[in-house]
Amino acid sequence: MATKHTVRIKVNGVNHESEVEARTTLVDFLRGPLALTGTHVGCEHGVCGACTVLVDGRTARSCLMLAVQADGAEITTVEGLATPDGLHPIQQAFVEEHGLQCGFCTPGFLMSLVELLHENPDPSDDEIKDVLGGQICRCTGYQSILKSVHSAIAKLRTAGLAAQPPLA
Amino acid sequence: MAVKIPNHIDELPTSSPRFIGRGVERVEDIGLITGRTEFIDNISMTGMLHCAILRSPIAHAKIESIDVSAALELPGVVAVVTGEDAAKWSHPAASSPEGWGTYCLPTDKVRFVGEPVAAVAATSRYIAEDALELIEIEYEPLAVVMDPVAAMADDSPLVIEERGSNVMLQRVFNWGDTDAAFAAADHVFSEKFRWNRLGANPMETYGCISEWDPNELNITVRGSFQSPSHMALGRAMTFGLPSNKVRMIAQPHGGSFGGKGGVRGTDISLLLSRKTGGRPIKWIEDRMEYLTAGGSQAWDRRYELSIAVSDAGIVTGLKVKLVDDLGANGEGFGAISAAKPLAAFTGPYTIGAARYDLSLVATNKAPASPYRGMGPPPHNFALEQMMDIAARNLGIDPAEFRRRNFIPKDAFPYTIPSGNEYDSGDYQAVLDKALALSEYTKLREEQERLREQGRMIGIGIASAIEPGVFDWNAYAIVGVQGTGVPEGATVSIDILGKVMVRVGFALEGQGQYTLVTQLVADYFGLEMDDVNVTMLDTASAPPAFGPGGSRLGVAITGAVLGACDRIREKMCKVVAGLMQTEPENIQLMDGVFGIPGVPEAQMPMAQVAGTMLGASHLLPPDVDPRPEATHVWTAAGRTPVDEEGRAKSYLTAAHAVHIVLLEIDPETGMVEILKYVLVDDCGTRLNPATVEGQTQGSVAQGIGAALLEEYVYDEDGQLLTSTYMDYLLPTISDVPAPLMGEVVTPSPFTPLGAKGCGEGAIHTTPAAVMCAINDALLPLGTRADEVPAAPNRLWKLIRAASEKS
Repeated sequence: MATKHTVRIKVNGVNHESEVEARTTLVDFLRGPLALTGTHVGCEHGVCGACTVLVDGRTARSCLMLAVQADGAEITTVEGLATPDGLHPIQQAFVEEHGLQCGFCTPGFLMSLVELLHENPDPSDDEIKDVLGGQICRCTGYQSILKSVHSAIAKLRTAGLAAQPPLA
Repeated sequence: MAVKIPNHIDELPTSSPRFIGRGVERVEDIGLITGRTEFIDNISMTGMLHCAILRSPIAHAKIESIDVSAALELPGVVAVVTGEDAAKWSHPAASSPEGWGTYCLPTDKVRFVGEPVAAVAATSRYIAEDALELIEIEYEPLAVVMDPVAAMADDSPLVIEERGSNVMLQRVFNWGDTDAAFAAADHVFSEKFRWNRLGANPMETYGCISEWDPNELNITVRGSFQSPSHMALGRAMTFGLPSNKVRMIAQPHGGSFGGKGGVRGTDISLLLSRKTGGRPIKWIEDRMEYLTAGGSQAWDRRYELSIAVSDAGIVTGLKVKLVDDLGANGEGFGAISAAKPLAAFTGPYTIGAARYDLSLVATNKAPASPYRGMGPPPHNFALEQMMDIAARNLGIDPAEFRRRNFIPKDAFPYTIPSGNEYDSGDYQAVLDKALALSEYTKLREEQERLREQGRMIGIGIASAIEPGVFDWNAYAIVGVQGTGVPEGATVSIDILGKVMVRVGFALEGQGQYTLVTQLVADYFGLEMDDVNVTMLDTASAPPAFGPGGSRLGVAITGAVLGACDRIREKMCKVVAGLMQTEPENIQLMDGVFGIPGVPEAQMPMAQVAGTMLGASHLLPPDVDPRPEATHVWTAAGRTPVDEEGRAKSYLTAAHAVHIVLLEIDPETGMVEILKYVLVDDCGTRLNPATVEGQTQGSVAQGIGAALLEEYVYDEDGQLLTSTYMDYLLPTISDVPAPLMGEVVTPSPFTPLGAKGCGEGAIHTTPAAVMCAINDALLPLGTRADEVPAAPNRLWKLIRAASEKS
């Protein structure tokens, strides 16, 4: 049996302490022991972006990162966006603008946008495309996603939010 | 009494539909957007083991020996299966053409890189993959055949020796007097085309959790099935079990586009389950497995086309010769993609005679699978290039050339030479709208101006049919049997008047649960929240196929409206009894049953349901007290194929015209799309937002096909594109934002007049982009006849042409 390492991380505001093998990827750790299955695995080689999460507020491909590398970090996944009172404004925008079809890639898009809109509440189309160029969607052809982003920008502005929660 | 399914929205029992015909928010989205939707890999079961598959690193080799003993010693490993287990417990897979299936684990030799050879069940995927490294296999390499033309030669190495040849099917179809058309033609144009392999690539790969109870001898599989009923039937055949002992539970899945695949992985995991005494075995295909050997690869084609044209610019004959490379066997059912073009062989044109010279060939590549559009996209690409070649040679504008050849709007229903019947359309109107939206005349002027500055600007115009509502008979020529594709739904109303609809397919992305909700809410005058849609497994669902062949929107509309009508009829009897009149005097309108014009004789639907389920003493004696009904819809009037492969197959014929303006950078060969206009006619739009989403998504896949996507093999049969760094999917920067327009000619034959539209733009986009590229290349006197028109190809063409001049 391979050596295990203790990992202490905070995910969506909840503290976890677990023993993991060094080779366990962050996404397998989130989806397995922590049962946070909203983060999806699309390619396992860092291209499709479906597994994007926030690690200390920065986007990371959780398929390319090991759980032990996240020791001590604060992580936000798609499960950390909505509250018991409702959807996050970015999620609401995607629903209203038909920004998803099969929905498998969507959590990755959402997490990338949380980072983008926190740093830059009013990005240009080129800035949006620059960031979302790292996320692949096979269903929508992206135009409804672009519309969703514009709607999210307006919603966040109205609500006076800079894409909160999550950024440590 | 016959079930009444409205052909027009006006015939619904509502004075003004609130949901049908509107782009309502989707009922699917909340679960998806919050990450709560249960995709297959989210599920864990008690006692579950994880499967990993060892795959061949060689394209063609005899298996000399397999030693699994070291793998079995690894702690956590529970079982290993090889071809020996497959031969003991299963049969070779069903295939198209028939007789070209193999065992899920080979018994004698491997036939393509990535072919499964052995598989492990272990307590974790990590351990299962460790164990693969401990399996020792000795291979004796065999000669490889990668070129389908070489594969047809008598001395070629054989992919499946027992077949005696690599030719899976070779046949010439003649529809009308093609020879006479060509003999009488003023002009004949011929050209060759190459469409390279590409494929579906849904963002979720295939996955399943399989259980095969070795004592009860029954099978249960949860998985990301596009068509659970079809998977169930296939498993019953492969494992020799009665079909009622095979249960498939479809999970919501992350797209399919026809290319979800999964048959081999399912069968291998079932063998492992049986070997471990029935434990649930989870198999999740990884992306490299999907790209190498999943349902990922389609349409590997070499075309030769000729058209016969009169001086007046009328096309009178079409000859298509196709060599289709289906890879190592027929288990992927890629062959149906060579059959489907019969449903729209001559496109939207009046071409009266056609010939199809078809060869399906086996090579040492991965087996070909279906992909969105199922074959017509490459066919249309080649046909539309020919239309442009003819137009150019005759000095006729390509838009005008197409107009002259369109089937006129008063000619429908119209039977094409290859046998299918188009239901309706107004092709001139679609073209006119596209020309207006694109400001076509100005576009041409602008092109002239920019050309004078030395820029390589092209305008492409393409027009194509999207056959909708597939039928099995469309694939009869490649050995698929049957006519009609039943789709059922059960509508149940509870004691409080809330509705549950049970269907036989899982969420895949197209929004059909939303469509079902819209239909029922409008039918019974409810809010959408009053309707819930759920999925039944194959042991309990009514006959169902699920999404595929641009069919489900039309089919599920028929099933749901049929079930609603059956409930309406029962409720009319109940209400008539209570109001002491005859059922025919009772009418449903806006959710209320009653006698028209008599305000005191009105009863809301919920009250009728409550009476049926909670006040039996009030019911007339002969009434069925369940406010529930099932209806199974199938397209009427489909015909078996005749000796030349002709049949009425696809029920609807949607139509589109796309116009593209693009620029090629001669320094890099890169293409930039400057303007994209499309106008389509898919009949009544039941949810316009969904139609737009399907269209836009399909444009993206068409752009990928035209410019980016290609599976590349080397001469030894090694796949060089087994990651997304090599197989390029379109990103947000690659896909244009088209200006979209619509024309609506409702289908006379379908529920609410809708036409199939799910596959959509991929029928037209690659053709339009390639027409534009060739228009841009025109001043150089060169042509691009290979898809994708990747920068390296265009750069070489431009360079060669420049050197010549």
